[in-house]
Amino acid sequence: MKKRTDRPMQLALLLVAAAFLLPQLWLFSLSTKTKAQVYEYPPRLISENASLRNYATVLDKTQIPFYLWNSARVAVLATALTLLLGIPAAYVLSRERFKRRDGIVFLFLAAQMVSPLILLVPIYGLVAKLHLLDTHAGLVLVYAAIQIPFTVVVLKSFFDGLPTSLFEAARLDGCSRFSIFRLVALPLLGPGLASVAIFNLAAYWSEFCLALVLLDSQARFTIPVGLFSFQSGYETEWHLVAAASFIGLLPVLLAFIMLQRFFVAGLTAGATKG
Amino acid sequence: MSLALRLAAGLACGWLLASPTARAASPGDDLVTPVRIGRPDAPLVISMWAQQEYSHLAAREDMAATFHGIFREWALAHPDIRIDISVMPALELHKAKLTMAAANDRLPDVASIDSFWVPLFQAGKHIQPLDPYWSKEDRDDFLPFTINTLSDPEGHVYGMWHGTDCRVLYYRKDLVPKPPQTWDELIEIASRISREKKISGYVFNAGRWEGAVFDHLPMFWGQGGELVDEGGAPIFGLPPHREKMIRVLQFMRDTITKGASPSSVLANNDYQQLSSAAISGDTAMFLGGSWQLRDLEPSLSKEQFALWDVAPIPQREKGVVSTGAGGWIWVSFAKDPLKLKAAAELIQFIESSKNVGVISQHAHQLPARKSVYQQFPFFREDPFHVRFGEWLAGARARPAVLIYPTISEQLQLAIGYAVSGDKTPEQAVDGAWAEVLRVAERQKAGAAPPPAFDPLMFAPAALTVLLLGFGLLAVWRENRALVAWLAPALALATAFLLYPMLELIRLSATDATTEGAGYSYTPASLQSVATDPGLPGMLLVTLLFVTASVVLQLFIGLGLAVLIDAARRRGTWGTMFARAAVVSAWVIPGVLIGVLWRILLMENRAGIANYTGSMFGLPALPYLSSGSFALASVVVANVWRGSAFSMILQFAGLMRIPKELHEAADLEGLTRFQRLRWLILPQLKPILALNLVLITISTLNTFDLILPLTGGGPARQTEVIALYMYRSAFFSLEAGRSAAIATVMLAVNLVLALVAVRAMRRQAAS
Repeated sequence: MKKRTDRPMQLALLLVAAAFLLPQLWLFSLSTKTKAQVYEYPPRLISENASLRNYATVLDKTQIPFYLWNSARVAVLATALTLLLGIPAAYVLSRERFKRRDGIVFLFLAAQMVSPLILLVPIYGLVAKLHLLDTHAGLVLVYAAIQIPFTVVVLKSFFDGLPTSLFEAARLDGCSRFSIFRLVALPLLGPGLASVAIFNLAAYWSEFCLALVLLDSQARFTIPVGLFSFQSGYETEWHLVAAASFIGLLPVLLAFIMLQRFFVAGLTAGATKG
Repeated sequence: MSLALRLAAGLACGWLLASPTARAASPGDDLVTPVRIGRPDAPLVISMWAQQEYSHLAAREDMAATFHGIFREWALAHPDIRIDISVMPALELHKAKLTMAAANDRLPDVASIDSFWVPLFQAGKHIQPLDPYWSKEDRDDFLPFTINTLSDPEGHVYGMWHGTDCRVLYYRKDLVPKPPQTWDELIEIASRISREKKISGYVFNAGRWEGAVFDHLPMFWGQGGELVDEGGAPIFGLPPHREKMIRVLQFMRDTITKGASPSSVLANNDYQQLSSAAISGDTAMFLGGSWQLRDLEPSLSKEQFALWDVAPIPQREKGVVSTGAGGWIWVSFAKDPLKLKAAAELIQFIESSKNVGVISQHAHQLPARKSVYQQFPFFREDPFHVRFGEWLAGARARPAVLIYPTISEQLQLAIGYAVSGDKTPEQAVDGAWAEVLRVAERQKAGAAPPPAFDPLMFAPAALTVLLLGFGLLAVWRENRALVAWLAPALALATAFLLYPMLELIRLSATDATTEGAGYSYTPASLQSVATDPGLPGMLLVTLLFVTASVVLQLFIGLGLAVLIDAARRRGTWGTMFARAAVVSAWVIPGVLIGVLWRILLMENRAGIANYTGSMFGLPALPYLSSGSFALASVVVANVWRGSAFSMILQFAGLMRIPKELHEAADLEGLTRFQRLRWLILPQLKPILALNLVLITISTLNTFDLILPLTGGGPARQTEVIALYMYRSAFFSLEAGRSAAIATVMLAVNLVLALVAVRAMRRQAAS
């Protein structure tokens, strides 16, 4: 059985990879061209004198490095805040029995599915009232709030998976709730924490609509907003946009490829556990 | 945690919390940084929203260097003023940001805006007159239309034009020996070229955007047509103007039916697509703007570029010259007189004759100053610019009236309908006219002033606090210790999710606008959604988009999951690579996916999708210009992104199928299909159901990739309900109507979420 040749399977995998990578390959190809070559006929994957000079231009002459830095800062801070608030909530929702528990879990489950884009205008109004427009603090708060339901749901399912006997033993030893949490639960949470953190980091990194609306100063733009400053009413420097896009995508793609296991686990848990 | 680790963590925190502007200063030149002009400690600070291409951050190096020099000179002469500068994303995104800032009194002190947005900011008295700080003498040096368009009846001037442009006909001399002067000539020449040379004879903008309207207004004006009367009330749908507008649309339709132009013009929603057709040798003529020379010249060889020339826009009758002048302007929103004065001085400095001459030459813009044409030989001698200058003298700008954005939006739709043949030009114009009248009526009634005391305004906040308090109190009664664990997460989530939902419901019962503070409670917003003549079509488009996306995503996701699971079990080489490839599409921001697919599906020769198709003998397909193809393209792009989600979810389901079942199937010798039918599908059923609901919700809310891909066009054929919501808030600036749509969507979201949660519970129980 196992001896059967894998050729058809490999071919199928190759086709799948091609379908999802070829469009991105074309974007990459644009990023190696000059302005004139973007519209050459016949179109060519590798134009004459293809080079990475657009990448040098983007990194050296534009604001992209600052945008990358802002994105990293916002994503990391928002993830930290999300976890800081989400972990304790998930813990008691998993480990404690109380009357409102099911109701709260239900609300979090439902809330993680509502798109924040519907709420764009009122969220803007709220952030304005808090005097947090055009600050990373405002964006971080909104991001954390939006991802908290998802984070709590996923972490709860990870806590649910920990063996009950450990907790009971600790309780019999007279540990307080906080010590059990710190000494027993947290150390075992590694993989769950990693998957939620990575998922949130990726989501924050590429979020566009809220960042566009909530930030005014270029000094604070994140990478998706920054990319769109390259487009103007009259012309778009596609070769530069393409290069900048790749630079912006690279961290997420790399993180994803290296940490694929956690990423998939997080998404799965978020979507399937009740 | 070891000490070293703690130290490292502390350092990392410090790094993250540090101000990013600290890094922005480059050591060589401290006066002009990417985000600041002037000394950092200057006492007076003004904020400025510029455009990237018209600033020291321009992608073109010559422009960047020019502006760097100008800003540096300004900073040296004004040590007591600091400018915090920010470049804004283009066009509608820029307008959206400005209007939201206006509603919250956060407008910058100086901004570069499109000339026809001025009325939006006049109603709320946001925009400040520049004339107190701008001498009459200097104003007289500007082309008359730039001053007239931006003046009010009292003679105040509200903006300074920074470079203008005019619309012209570009043509290839080798194919078109004598440029057409009339529509009939144009159609005759262009259709002959299409027939004989197998390239497009003539291309123009007919996609869903402002350019499609403004490019063709000269043809309307050339017949004596007017959009609005002296008082600014719309009249284009009344005789004799109506007939003139109909003729323009009829001409545009004729270019398609008589073979002069390809129907792909319906997908042209930026000037780039016109230049790209020219550069790739795919058209003999196009209706474009004077600045497009700077696209053509560097992209074509010297010989090829020499083939191109410009001519006045063909008109209905011979001998008429009519063109439209667009352009961006500097305005000031500064309420503080000191800042206003500084702002006015700054833009006068940037736009001095000396600077304008240099900038315009680099940007291929037409100077708005008369003196520049005299002082700079370039504008007297360059064969192109001499003629641009001549035509500009008789050019017209868009009427600066509040109703213009609505007129434009409706005419964009009319052009889409007429050019595609979905409606006759008469129907298209009358449809646009009816909608413009309705909005004009509402505008005339005037936005209500903000109510002096509005108890309902506090209802959402009060209700949020009440609900949160009630929930926490219940937990408190049962087990006090738990509140501290739950409260922070619950408080943040209710503040930014529950409160906005309640506020949305309140907004949907008002006629609030995105840019103004005034509103009153009225069912008008909900009614206007319910009675929108486009609503049935939009619901159908949404239904098709959601159904097709969901079904395809579900099946492709299942196929991928089964394939990758099977490959994984056999340890086939490349499994993880294929999975990573699928997911890589999913992590790209939606707007970027829209942009990417627009490049792939471009409909002229340089477009890669059609070029690849032609190698396999396929004809050129109207990927974005025909309604049904465009909808299919939008679905494909969405499925391309979303399949990863379905795959991952179903893959997880497959992993849970006990190994023993597969071993039993192996023993039984089941074929692949039998295994799928009798083993995999029954096991996967609950997760498929859940997946179905989840992707239905997310697809229903999707508009991010549609916006750059088709903008909802041609006409409204890819406008889903989520896009309608977004356009209402940020293009039409009707926050009330947008909230009404959002409320309905929210209700649907919640119902589906409840279904999903129940599915999850069942899944978890099984």
